[in-house]
Amino acid sequence: MMYRSNRLILFGLLAAWPAIAEENMDIDLIPRAIQDQMAPVVDRAPASGPRQRIYFENANTLASLRAGLLVPFPSQRPPTWQEEFFIDARKEWSLLKNFNFAYSGRMNLRVEENLPIPRTENVRHDFREGYLSWEALDRTYLDLGRINLKSGVALGYNPTDFFKSRSVVEALSSDLTVLREDRLGTLMGRAQHVWAGGALSAVFAPRLFNPRSIYTNLGLPSFNPMFDRTNAHGRVLVKGNANIAGGVSTEFLIYHEGNRFQLGANVTEELSHNIVGYAEWAGGRRASLIDDALRYGKQTGSIPVRTPSALPEDGHKSFQSDLSVGASYSTETRITFNLEYHFHQAGFSQRDWNNWFNSGSGLPAYLSRVPAQLWYIRSYALDQQEPISTHTAFLRADWVDAFFPKLELTAFINIDLFDGSAFVQVTADYYLSNAWTVGGLVTRNFGKYRSDHGSLPQSSALLFKVARYL
Amino acid sequence: MFFRSGLLPALVIGFSAAAYGQTAQEIIAGTDRVRNPGQPFHSIDILTEYVSGRPKAQSHLAVYSKEDPSTRQFRNLIVYIEPPRDAGKMVLLDGHYFWFYDPASKASVRISPQQRLIGQASVADVLIVNLAVDYRGTLVGTEAIQDADRREHQCWHLDMKAADDRASYNRVEYWIEKGTFYPIKGKFYSDSGRLLKILYYKAFQDRLGGVRPTVGIIIDAVDSALVSTINFLEARFQDIPDAWFQRDYLPRLKAE
Repeated sequence: MMYRSNRLILFGLLAAWPAIAEENMDIDLIPRAIQDQMAPVVDRAPASGPRQRIYFENANTLASLRAGLLVPFPSQRPPTWQEEFFIDARKEWSLLKNFNFAYSGRMNLRVEENLPIPRTENVRHDFREGYLSWEALDRTYLDLGRINLKSGVALGYNPTDFFKSRSVVEALSSDLTVLREDRLGTLMGRAQHVWAGGALSAVFAPRLFNPRSIYTNLGLPSFNPMFDRTNAHGRVLVKGNANIAGGVSTEFLIYHEGNRFQLGANVTEELSHNIVGYAEWAGGRRASLIDDALRYGKQTGSIPVRTPSALPEDGHKSFQSDLSVGASYSTETRITFNLEYHFHQAGFSQRDWNNWFNSGSGLPAYLSRVPAQLWYIRSYALDQQEPISTHTAFLRADWVDAFFPKLELTAFINIDLFDGSAFVQVTADYYLSNAWTVGGLVTRNFGKYRSDHGSLPQSSALLFKVARYL
Repeated sequence: MFFRSGLLPALVIGFSAAAYGQTAQEIIAGTDRVRNPGQPFHSIDILTEYVSGRPKAQSHLAVYSKEDPSTRQFRNLIVYIEPPRDAGKMVLLDGHYFWFYDPASKASVRISPQQRLIGQASVADVLIVNLAVDYRGTLVGTEAIQDADRREHQCWHLDMKAADDRASYNRVEYWIEKGTFYPIKGKFYSDSGRLLKILYYKAFQDRLGGVRPTVGIIIDAVDSALVSTINFLEARFQDIPDAWFQRDYLPRLKAE
């Protein structure tokens, strides 16, 4: 019996021999350096630890502008070239037991068309964060200082990211994931408790300054923390999150700013092995974007108080919603797509767009205040990080190791669903080594002259960058 | 015909292996005990990526691992220490909840099981996993196969299918040394049946209270020019509170 069994095993092994030999061929794929157990030689920067990131970056931008805009651009047009060099630092220090201090900022040196050297505006420090953190009890924290507080789960537009307004100083990219990297925090006190099932946070940000007019590219101060951007209103936020069974994760928010209440909610769910669905909603009583913009312009002196409005004002407030709903889909070839629909009820309707174009086109020169107001509304929306249109769609693709290893391609398109006009950005980053990255991006506004993106002064732009991480 | 298909040899070998008295699940559980200690632990892992045979990049990852007593699946928290451009980024892998956190943008992004396999942190899904929980195995047979150093080992060959949708891969093949339960080699397949990764274990040393592999070699089967090694360094037992696996804790983690 044993003899027969051994014969069967031997017989089986002989029959399986080609498969085993093939199995051993996988070893040939292992590089010689590993097989010989040689120490890897890698050009890598010195270990700095996970609590800091410091890097230099040089970026050159070239832009082409449109001629013959339907609504003439009232002020100095955007620059056609820009050169920017900056040092960006983020670092945390452990102080006494349970005390930490965090700093985050960027020192910029910039030259651009209409901003020659030397001017004080050539040098600018963006003080993003500086705060003290104390773990008063186990996983109960008190934070005080300038904190960059971000909420939301969507990629293209975050209705519940209540502290985003006026926080972006100067954008080198329109990709929201990049914009968030250089935005100013708000002076606040924050209490937070994290436990196994969720987290609860309460935030209070005091009003310390009066609102000031929207900063222009040439009017950015050199060494000014610009707290007027972030602390012009008293703000309170309470938010909590919890995981619900079945792979659903939720977050609920209550926000108060000035005399305005807002509620918010975030939900994410794993829909399949490759798909995550998410939705983000915020709602509260507010005026329309047009009313808010014109009121703010008059409040800060950008628009003369007695000037008649260029667009019909509604005046009344109502409950208005903001929504981002979308899904991410990842492929086996390392591409992740995000498709989102954005709804901004206070934004421009089709009638508002018609009014915007009808009011601003074909005007005599002495009525230049009209295009000034019209463009002010759009710059207000940009400053507040609000979409200008009520209905927009967003598609983003991120491809890791695209075509060859260490090349990352990112592209996104933002489409105004009223007129089909779009903003497109394609970014390429090549990680030359652990320390060096080279990259570039191309942007273009597509659309007819009488459309959201087709009416903008900038047609396309090209940016090259080199970064060195320390 | 039967021999060419491998069906008869598999049946014959499977019959003889079963005669050893080990079920497939017992063998898988045995190799899980070799790879994973029974307590929460922290390790520093160095991932070296080779492109066409040359070292191209290196990542240092701090990994915090803890078994969920209710599911017996591992909860992993991975912090990038290097490269400097990624310093402080984190990936949380906890049951159905996967989050990516970037301290530069302060953003936490929910990622799918497929998306967690993109990037260096995916090594945790290959290396720190309770296969006996995530997969149902079948003993294919015993085979003498070579390890990464071309030393031959008598191994159990197991074919595993995902037990539920929490498993990172749809199918895994594993070769486990008979007697020692040392993992020698693994192959990982996608939902579509595509071979994604080939893994070799080596350098078995005393670590975290047992003899365990300290080096893994991961061959990218989609692009075989890409090969990574992972060295487990500075492993130690560490108490890890459950709150660490909460996405709002990620900005608070002071990784070393």
